[in-house]
Amino acid sequence: MSEIISAAELRQLVGAWLVQGRRVIGPARIKPERVLFVPLRDAGQLLLDDCQRPANSAKEAVFPRHEKLYEFRFQGKQVEILDAPPPAAPQVVIGARPCDAAALPILDRVFNWDCRDAHYNRRRDLTTLVTLACRQHDRHCFCTSLGSGPGDPCGSDAMLYGLDDGNYEVRTLTEKGSALFTGHTHASDKVGLAGPGPQPVLDPHAVGAFLKTHFEDPRWARWSARCLGCGACACTCPTCHCFDMVDEGGAAGGAKVRNWDACQHALFTLHASGHNPRGTQWQRQRQRVYHKFHIYPQKFSAILCTGCGNCTRNCPVQLGLLPVLNAIQGGGRIAPGEAVR
Amino acid sequence: MSTQERLHETCRRLLEEGTVQVVIGYAHTAPGEPAFPVFISDPADVGQLVWNRCCLANLTKYLLRQEIRALGKPAIFVKGCDERALVVLQRESQIDPAQMLSIGVACRGEESPRHAACAACDVRRPRFCDIMIDEVPDDPPPVAASSAAARYADLEIFLTKTPAERVAYWTEELSRCVKCYACRQACPLCYCQRCIADKNRPTSIDTSATLKGNFAWHITRAFHLAGRCVGCDQCTRACPAGIDLRLLNLSLARAAELQFAYRAGIDRQADPPIGTCSERDQESFIQ
Repeated sequence: MSEIISAAELRQLVGAWLVQGRRVIGPARIKPERVLFVPLRDAGQLLLDDCQRPANSAKEAVFPRHEKLYEFRFQGKQVEILDAPPPAAPQVVIGARPCDAAALPILDRVFNWDCRDAHYNRRRDLTTLVTLACRQHDRHCFCTSLGSGPGDPCGSDAMLYGLDDGNYEVRTLTEKGSALFTGHTHASDKVGLAGPGPQPVLDPHAVGAFLKTHFEDPRWARWSARCLGCGACACTCPTCHCFDMVDEGGAAGGAKVRNWDACQHALFTLHASGHNPRGTQWQRQRQRVYHKFHIYPQKFSAILCTGCGNCTRNCPVQLGLLPVLNAIQGGGRIAPGEAVR
Repeated sequence: MSTQERLHETCRRLLEEGTVQVVIGYAHTAPGEPAFPVFISDPADVGQLVWNRCCLANLTKYLLRQEIRALGKPAIFVKGCDERALVVLQRESQIDPAQMLSIGVACRGEESPRHAACAACDVRRPRFCDIMIDEVPDDPPPVAASSAAARYADLEIFLTKTPAERVAYWTEELSRCVKCYACRQACPLCYCQRCIADKNRPTSIDTSATLKGNFAWHITRAFHLAGRCVGCDQCTRACPAGIDLRLLNLSLARAAELQFAYRAGIDRQADPPIGTCSERDQESFIQ
């Protein structure tokens, strides 16, 4: 037996969550060719068609691009510090992909490692993640290479599996997930299935083994020669979590804020002295691969990548991780377009 | 001989004769997939070079890159819009035409609906290149954008909105900006050694991806490209948030054309309105 919900009922339910005051984040088509996770204004915006992976990631629900940590006010020679109010609104992410959901346990480790990040954890507690199993994939997807897959429930509170009749099988996985759907589904004998997913194309352990001994490999410069140095890969990655903290404000006071940062930006490691330990773009590209397949695995015994493919999908020059990982695995060729050196 | 064969033969010859040390061109993983920039130094590798309607990147961005310059004298593939960037870069003393070779490819415009700029393009054939490959397009351009009206048609439609509607539009669009700076990094004319967005002693533009920080960034960038933007639309193409930055750039391009009869990168002799002092300037503050 299974529990199902019709597409119309699901949309009604999303509408009800909004009416209840929940923040609901889901995929919406914001341009003819662009689907993004956005805070939904109404249930009609929700795009529950799995043919296109949103170009951003669902991480923003728990790790916003901009967050106020505390405020400060100057009064004469006194400085008053005011804690930023913790996030309070319960929120639902609906239509996350398994590669978005699998990223949350990965982020949890970082934000609870040497200190428990109050804002992150508060948001995480307030968030219920409803994941849509993938029935399709595109040429950038490589989740199956990293132990995940189109029906992977890792990190989700509930899973939706599309049925051929346009409705969904609902499988709740946690109490938070059950709380959203209980009383809204019907018993059925229909069972939803995820798609086969992409053929595995790489072995992350082989990549990790390569990285252990190839930090100084001269091919890094060739492999990443075309990187433009933007942060589209990091900003749309479900697992990238680096941030910058800055003071913003004026003479009367301001706030300490936390903003997303990206290791591909030249300023990321620039020292006040003027020295930059990663002075060239290929060194920054190498760092991104190392962080994901060597440094994070060493520290947390997991890979900092879920194979969503957004880094390549959003790259203005079709780089991102997969072409570089293929090059590592393929003995040096980045693609049939880049010479072996 | 096909365009592709001519292209391979030309590049092989240039590399073998030592005329250039590297060819900056396009390659792809499979036909129909977007082509990506490639840097070919070995004549044996020229077979990787492709030219098709998926060659979207403006390669002139790489001419100023230290790592690419280190590869030696380049030959670079340029479409008409890319060539406009070459003209501006030369006017701004960023490149020396004697130290490079431009290979022109006639462009039929990109098919993707994301590239509205291609529909309003009137420079599909490069005009000043050292070498032209693909002299005659197989098919005529679908739209002849020879008039200013055609060039700024999308902007004119936008300008029929009320100011309040326009603010609402940009508020919605810019609320999606995550400050990845793909617009800047993909732009051939954003070459400042230190961008104003990266200046933090003191901070000029909030680094936060808030509405305030995002408006400050995109308006500043548009103004910095006023009379310089060549309309290659790499910024819009690169934006992962799908923000139509072309509208902002068109607005300033139109101002340069209407007020100064100037279009960036079109006339190699024309004085750019920004960076040129003229006694005929009408503004009293400058006299």
